[in-house]
Amino acid sequence: MDTTTAALELQDLHKTFSVDGGRLNAVDGISLSVAPGEIVALLGPNGAGKTTAIDMALGLTDPTSGTVSIFGGKPQEAVRAGRVSALLQTGGLLRDLSVQETVLAIASLHGAQDRVQQVMEATDITRLAHRKVVKCSGGEQQRLKFALALLPDPDVLILDEPTAGMDVNARRAFWATMRRDATAGRTVIFATHYLEEAESFAQRIVLMNAGKIIADGTTANVRALASGRTVAATLQEHGTIDAADPRLAELKALDGVTAVVVNGPRITVTASDSDAVALHLLTRTGGTNLEISAPSLETAFVQMTNEPAAETAGA
Amino acid sequence: MNATFVRIDLTRQLRDVMNLMFVLILPALMYVIFGLSFGYGGESAGHGNVKFYIMASMAAYGASVAATAVTGVAAVELMQGWGRQIALTPLRPAGFVAGKAVVALAITALAIAVVFVVGAFTGARVDSAWMWPVTFLIALVGSVLFSLFGYAIAMLFKSDSAMGVASGALVILAFLGNVFIPLSGTLLQVARFTPMYGYVGLVRWPILEGAQAQSPEVDPLWGLIANLVAWLLIFGIVAVLAVRRGQARR
Repeated sequence: MDTTTAALELQDLHKTFSVDGGRLNAVDGISLSVAPGEIVALLGPNGAGKTTAIDMALGLTDPTSGTVSIFGGKPQEAVRAGRVSALLQTGGLLRDLSVQETVLAIASLHGAQDRVQQVMEATDITRLAHRKVVKCSGGEQQRLKFALALLPDPDVLILDEPTAGMDVNARRAFWATMRRDATAGRTVIFATHYLEEAESFAQRIVLMNAGKIIADGTTANVRALASGRTVAATLQEHGTIDAADPRLAELKALDGVTAVVVNGPRITVTASDSDAVALHLLTRTGGTNLEISAPSLETAFVQMTNEPAAETAGA
Repeated sequence: MNATFVRIDLTRQLRDVMNLMFVLILPALMYVIFGLSFGYGGESAGHGNVKFYIMASMAAYGASVAATAVTGVAAVELMQGWGRQIALTPLRPAGFVAGKAVVALAITALAIAVVFVVGAFTGARVDSAWMWPVTFLIALVGSVLFSLFGYAIAMLFKSDSAMGVASGALVILAFLGNVFIPLSGTLLQVARFTPMYGYVGLVRWPILEGAQAQSPEVDPLWGLIANLVAWLLIFGIVAVLAVRRGQARR
């Protein structure tokens, strides 16, 4: 362990719910250390245990076993001191309050009335000030919840699907706000379904599936966990490559090639040794317009979350 | 407890149309209909007149609706996610409860006050002036029973429909509990065991001292208190069991 105290430290965290006729391990032994200032994306399919893990990190739910610490202390203490705050996924707003009243009510509990105006401007809800919460769109409600999370000026900001219910423009605007105002030295941990958000905003990605962490690393690391790269090339000027073309059989016979797909005059080859495939395409098949691409985060995500967790442990 | 937080909550409750209708206007309106429209309002009843008797009854009903609504709505909101938002602030549960108690008392006091003011201007009368504030206080303090009732119903139904159930139940309990219409005979015997009977009997104690409008029977003070305490225990136990059941699911 390094000399600085982790902003968030989860140690062998378990949470078991009793459901009808059995027990559900919503979180099944996760350990995670987030350094101050890190921006971490928490990815995983529905039911992976992200929200339960976040609830435990915030002290809203007690773990069945394991420990949570925020800057070395209990999460409840960090919440009371305003060192951690969160945008929660479910509920959290009173429908018949106006936007301004909501911000003011929560600000008063934090003793942060002096931050109301600043926070409302930063999250672009000033013009909604007198609108009732029930009349706000999903995206506007998310911005309001984001404003509430910023009120205590927290060191650690946890966002559970912050852009749920927003259209593309609203999502862009949200992340622009995050870049401009919200990060400023804060530790940010966000759960999302949108891989491009994770890819463009986080430095580190934690991938969860079935209550376990199945990958943890930089975006590039996690991507690379997906096997294979693709190499595409044009083999003829027009028309469609004949399925009986001998070049296809040669490509399939190369070491490490897992798929050869014909797409009109072009082919796409998936292989572990992309260099060998590229060389072959250029020198033996007369291929042109060569393109080599690494697997996307999406590919990695789909591959890893569809496999049993045990086989893809650790990174 | 936090003054700004309580003020915002109070403002919000006071502009809720349902609250205004059922808590502030309806009880006063029923007093006007039952107390003023039938011509017997000026007749004497116990230590005052029939108008005061009806005014005290409708104030008790208004107070019970107010107490039920504020606590019930608070419980439903907590379950629907506002509780999680509050849990992310320095406000402790005891502080939240204290704030809600202030709001509930304020709304309940207002509900009673509206009926009392209408009564005072329309000829409700008692022999001694002290009976006004004492009747007011009994109605206010006794409404705690209905805070528990509202909480228990909210914990059992866990949704917005809980408040519909609670206010509907209150109307039935008010009829059964000798609040709206003076009962006699078998109905009165049954009424003694219903939750509003003890409460409304105590609210009317200063003017009637346990006497009945339509029956020669006289309730002893201990009987009315026993009814109130028994129902406090029952609603309290139901509320605790409902909370436990909710926690066991997690």
